[in-house]
Amino acid sequence: MRRSKLLAVAIGTALMAAPGVVLAHHGANLYDMTKTVKVTGTIAKFYWGNPHNEVTIDATDEKGAAVQWVAYTEPPLVMLERGWTRKSLNFGDKVTAYIFQARNGSPVGTLNRIVLPDGKELTAYPMPGAPAVPNPPANLRSQ
Amino acid sequence: MRHIFAASSIALVAAAIALVVGPAVSAQNTARVADLSGDWLPDRSRGGMGQSLSLSDIGGRKRGNEDDIPYQPWARAKTLSEKTSTGPDPHFEATTDPQVIYCEPPGVPHIYLWPIKTRFIQTPQAVYILYEIGPFFRVVWLNEKHPDDPDPQWWGHSIGHYENGDTLVVDTIGFNDKTWLDQMGHPHTEKLHLIERFKRANKTQLEVDMTIDDPGAYTKPWFSHRNLVLSDSGFLRYQQICSVRENQQFFDNVGKPAVPTPGK
Repeated sequence: MRRSKLLAVAIGTALMAAPGVVLAHHGANLYDMTKTVKVTGTIAKFYWGNPHNEVTIDATDEKGAAVQWVAYTEPPLVMLERGWTRKSLNFGDKVTAYIFQARNGSPVGTLNRIVLPDGKELTAYPMPGAPAVPNPPANLRSQ
Repeated sequence: MRHIFAASSIALVAAAIALVVGPAVSAQNTARVADLSGDWLPDRSRGGMGQSLSLSDIGGRKRGNEDDIPYQPWARAKTLSEKTSTGPDPHFEATTDPQVIYCEPPGVPHIYLWPIKTRFIQTPQAVYILYEIGPFFRVVWLNEKHPDDPDPQWWGHSIGHYENGDTLVVDTIGFNDKTWLDQMGHPHTEKLHLIERFKRANKTQLEVDMTIDDPGAYTKPWFSHRNLVLSDSGFLRYQQICSVRENQQFFDNVGKPAVPTPGK
């Protein structure tokens, strides 16, 4: 009996941990992709790697309290195509970021774009000008 | 003397080519080889990869009810039971996408729905298809037959041939049933017979026509298509490897804080 209870606890713990493995990509249900919030602060960390790059920004909220934001982009392989490199952001850079924030209000989300100290703007998501739906060739449309 | 030297040089070059190319090359094999050289990226000018193989529903909004996917009842129910990680109804924290959950290979044709490049290494005996994600590669055996009873595997067993001097036809059987056909959870069975036709439409465009023939899941063969465009920005500039540890770190940093608290 005691063993069964321990097993149940172990399974429960495993299930609670499982979303960590599950939650690898794509967060449109967790983040409000209809609008961005403006975050001004300094780069605390720029993780360049899989499964997604992460931009950590030290900022303050409207009451002046310190708040640390984390926003992710697509992985390096994709962002390299968009002109980003691992040196695009550096510790201490003063930036303004536009973030699709978590629906629950947490200071995390998907990075839309970020303005660097020299005024240069880097777009993360979505790609500018990309149409939503591909145009299949005529010979396959009717099949 | 000069002529003898020239003739010797030609003979040496010919011998060198023979060594490199190997005895299996015949004039017929080399005469109509499609030139697939270059790096091929999903054509963003035409919308990129999409999430679904359905040509009537590239974005996945009609999942389970597409008019061009001839489901068997169980396959439709299975599709609708899956929780996708992307598309119009994503379940980021609870997806059932095996590629996301287990870091398993996406397989084909699912891999063409990733924003990664494809490169073809063409030899007389085989075409090696390299993908930036994984990084994975497949071997397409030329002028060979499928084994009678291939072991079911992630990438199946592929044979191929060239047509019209501009197309590589790849015929694959022997898949396992663990992958999704696309991001929208369309299933397949070990009976899947996939035919991919890679056509060099022009210098910068590669058309990929796909015939999905799986009598275990669909009532008749159906078709899909993607366009790839020539890229000169380089191949495999970053290794897109799926790591459970890195996925966990990402979840801890960005995902877990965004998961709604029950009751709120």
